[in-house]
Amino acid sequence: MAESEEEVDVLVQRVVKDITNAFKRNPNIDEIGVIPCPEARYNRSPIVLVENKLGVESWCVKFLLPYVHNKLLLYRQRKHWLEREALADITCTLLLLNPDFTTAWNVRKELLQCGVLNPEKDLYLGQLALTKFPKSPETWIHRRWVLQQILGQCSAADRSKKPQQGEAERGEAERGDAERGDAERGDAERGDAERSQQLSEHLARTLHQEMKVCSDAACRYPSNYNAWSHRIWVLQHMGQGNVKVLHDELSSMRLWVSMHVSDHSGFHYRQFLLKALITELSQTPASTSSPQQRCSTAPSSSSRLHHSQANGELSEAEAAADEEWQLSANTVLQLFHQEMELCSDLIQSFPGHETLWSHRRHVFYLWHHWRKEQQQKGSTNGESRSEVLSSNGDPAPPTLSAHSSAGGGGGVNGQGHAAEAMEVDGASLPDPRDSKRLKTGVLPPSPPALPSEPSFVSGFLDGCCNPEQRRFALAYKKWLDTVIGQQP
Amino acid sequence: MGTQVKDVIIKPDAPSSLLLDKHADYIAAYGSKKDDYEYTLSEYLRMSGIYWGLTVMDLMAQLPRMNRPEIVDFIKSCQHECGGLSASIGHDPHLLYTLSAVQILCLYDSVDALDVDKVVEYIKGLQQEDGSFAGDKWGEIDTRFSFCAVATLALLGKMDKINVDKAVEFILSCMNFDGGFGCRPGSESHAGQIYCCAGFLSLTGQLHQVNADLLGWWLCERQLPSGGLNGRPEKLPDVCYSWWVLASLKIIGRIHWIDKAKLRSFILACQDEETGGFADRPGDMVDPFHTLFGIAGLSLLGDEQIKPVNPVLCMPEDVLQRVRLQPDILS
Ligand SMILES: [Zn+2]
Repeated sequence: MAESEEEVDVLVQRVVKDITNAFKRNPNIDEIGVIPCPEARYNRSPIVLVENKLGVESWCVKFLLPYVHNKLLLYRQRKHWLEREALADITCTLLLLNPDFTTAWNVRKELLQCGVLNPEKDLYLGQLALTKFPKSPETWIHRRWVLQQILGQCSAADRSKKPQQGEAERGEAERGDAERGDAERGDAERGDAERSQQLSEHLARTLHQEMKVCSDAACRYPSNYNAWSHRIWVLQHMGQGNVKVLHDELSSMRLWVSMHVSDHSGFHYRQFLLKALITELSQTPASTSSPQQRCSTAPSSSSRLHHSQANGELSEAEAAADEEWQLSANTVLQLFHQEMELCSDLIQSFPGHETLWSHRRHVFYLWHHWRKEQQQKGSTNGESRSEVLSSNGDPAPPTLSAHSSAGGGGGVNGQGHAAEAMEVDGASLPDPRDSKRLKTGVLPPSPPALPSEPSFVSGFLDGCCNPEQRRFALAYKKWLDTVIGQQP
Repeated sequence: MGTQVKDVIIKPDAPSSLLLDKHADYIAAYGSKKDDYEYTLSEYLRMSGIYWGLTVMDLMAQLPRMNRPEIVDFIKSCQHECGGLSASIGHDPHLLYTLSAVQILCLYDSVDALDVDKVVEYIKGLQQEDGSFAGDKWGEIDTRFSFCAVATLALLGKMDKINVDKAVEFILSCMNFDGGFGCRPGSESHAGQIYCCAGFLSLTGQLHQVNADLLGWWLCERQLPSGGLNGRPEKLPDVCYSWWVLASLKIIGRIHWIDKAKLRSFILACQDEETGGFADRPGDMVDPFHTLFGIAGLSLLGDEQIKPVNPVLCMPEDVLQRVRLQPDILS
C-alpha cells in the first residue's frame, strides 16, 4: 500500500486519470458514490464503473482529496503550474469529493470563459455531484452562473440578428412570427429564423433538463431548499411569461406533492407557480393576448380581439376585451378551486401535516388578494366587468368542492360549456365559468366567502381523534380570524 | 394512520447543566488537528470556522487561550488585491469570509490589520443596480450577502458608502405573505434567511418595515414539543436554527412568545458530556458551528455564566460597545 510521498503521488495521479478515462469510456454516468472498502486490493484501480454508476473505493479518498486539494491551491497561489487539461481533471475529481469547494468551481468558470470547457459539460458535472450531495449550495450557485452564460450567448446571438425581437425564450411566439413573415423575407433572414428557432429549442431543452435535475435532488433530500429555490430561479430567468411552462409545471407537480406531503419546499414551489400563473392571467386584456395564445393549443378568441382592435371598432373591441377578461378570471377561479380541493383531499388523507395546513394558508391568502384586486378592477372598469363577481362583489369562494371535469390546463380556452353544479355545504351553485350567465348579470347570490373555511376547519375540531390535526386546524382558524380578518 | 411529528425525544439522562469548561477545552483543541482529513474538507470555510471558535471562546471569557498573532497574520494574508477576503490562503475572496474576518478583528480590536478602504471598495463594487449584493465577482445574489455587506460596513463605520435605500428595497422585495424572507424574491421563507433580513433591517434602521406580529407568529411556530426550534415546517429541531429563530424574535421584540425554559433544556441536551461541544441535535456529533450557536442561544435566554450576546451580529455586546455599534431592536 502506498505510503511514501512519491508513492502517494503516483497513486493519486493514476486515480485522477482513471476517473477521467471512466467519463470518456462511459459518457452516460448518472450517479457517483463512495464504496466502503477499508483496504486497497492489489493491482486494482479504486475507481469502479458498474453500469452507469461511478464508484470510488473509500480507502483511497483520504489520499486523493488532500492531494488534489493542495495541487489546486498551489496553482491558485501561482506556486505550481498546471496545464488546462490537468486543471479540468483535478477540479473534476475535487468537486466530486467536495462540491462546496467554491474556488474549484471558480477555476472551472475561468476555463469556461476561455473555451477549454463547455457549459453543458459543467452542468453535467454539477448534476453528478448533486447525486451524492443534493443540497450542495456551491454546486447550485455554479449552475446558475453556467445557465446565465448560456442565456447570455443565446440572447447575444438573437440580438445580433433581429434587434427588435423579444426574448429568445418566448419560443412559440417567435415561431409564429417567423411563419407569418416568410413570404417577404430573403434567404438570409430565413436562415436567421432557423437559427433563432434552434436557439429557442436549445433553451427549451436546457430548461427541461434543469427541471429534471431539480426533481432528482428534491427526491434525494426532503425539503431541499437549494433545489427548489433554484427551480424558481430557472423559471424566473428562462421561462418568464411562459404560461404553458407554468401550466405544465403545475400539473406535473400535482402528483409529486401528493406523494411528498411533508415537503414544505415542494408545496412552496406550487404556491409560486399559482401566483405566477395568476399574475400572467390577470394582466390587462391588451397585454394578455400573447400568453393566451401561448398556452392554448387551439386558436383562441384573442386573434379576433386583435382584429377588432385594429379596425378601431371600439365597442366591439371593448366587448372582446371584456370577454377575455372573463375568460382569464374564470381560469384563475378554476385554478383556485382545483388547488383548494387538492389541499382538502390531502389534509383529510394525511392528517397532522403542518405543510398541508401551511399550503392552505398560502392558497387562501392568494385567493383573498386576487378577489380584492378583481373587485377594485370591477369598480374602476365599469359595470360589465363587475358582473363576473356576484352581487356582493365576491367571486365564488375557492373552497367549493368543484366537480370539475377539466383537468390540468384543459379549461384554459374557457369555451362555452354546460354549467356544472358545485356544492357548498350541500347547496348547489351555478358554475362561475358559464360566461353567458355572467354576461347577463343574473348570477344568483353566492354565499359569503369566509364562512366555508370555518366550516372546513370545524370538521376537525369536533370528534377528531388526531391531536396534531386538531392543533393545526385551530392554528389555521386563528390565522383566518386574525390575519385575514384584520385586513380591509 | 398515526402521525409522526418530526421531533426528537430528550432522554432523561441527557445533560441538563451547562458544561462550560468542557466546551472551552473542545474549541481550544479543535484547531490543533490541522492535517486531519475533516479539516481539509472544511478549509473552504476556514475564516468562518475561526469566527465561530473565537466568538464562542470570547462569550465564555476564554479568548486569551487562542493564538492571537497567528490568527491576525493569517487574516492579513487572506486579503486580496480587490480588497475582499478569502476563507483561507489560496482560496478566492467572498463577502461571507470578508464579514467573518472583520468580525474576528473586532474581537481582537485590530481592524487596522486590514486595508479597510479596500474592503469598503470591494463591498461597494458588489452592489447591483436593484440594490442587491453579489457574494463575489461571479454574481450570485442572495439576501445573506446583503446582510454580510451591511454588517461588515456597520462594524467598520462605513455604511454611508453604499446605496442603503436601494439595498433596503431589495430586501423588502424578498418578504413573503407569512412575514418571513427567502434568499431571493419569490423564494420560500427560511429561518436563516429571516435572521439575515431582520439583522439587515436592524442595521439599516428599517425594522418598522417588518410585520412583527406576523413574522413573530411564523417564528414561534418553529418551536416543537421537545422545546427545540426548526428552520421551516416539518423539519427537525436544530441548535443552529434555534439561534436564528431566537435571535430574529429578539430583534423584532417577540422573544417572550416562545417557551424559553423548554428551549433551554433542548439546547443543553445537545451537549456532549465527554468531548465537550454542542451538536445539532441530542446524540449527534459536535462541531464548532453548533457550539457557538448553542452558547449564543443560552446567552440570549439569559444565562449569566455567559457574556451577553448581540442578536444581530452574534458577537459579545462588550465588543460592539467598543466599536460603538448599537443595532436597533424592536420593543
Ligand atoms: Zn444546524
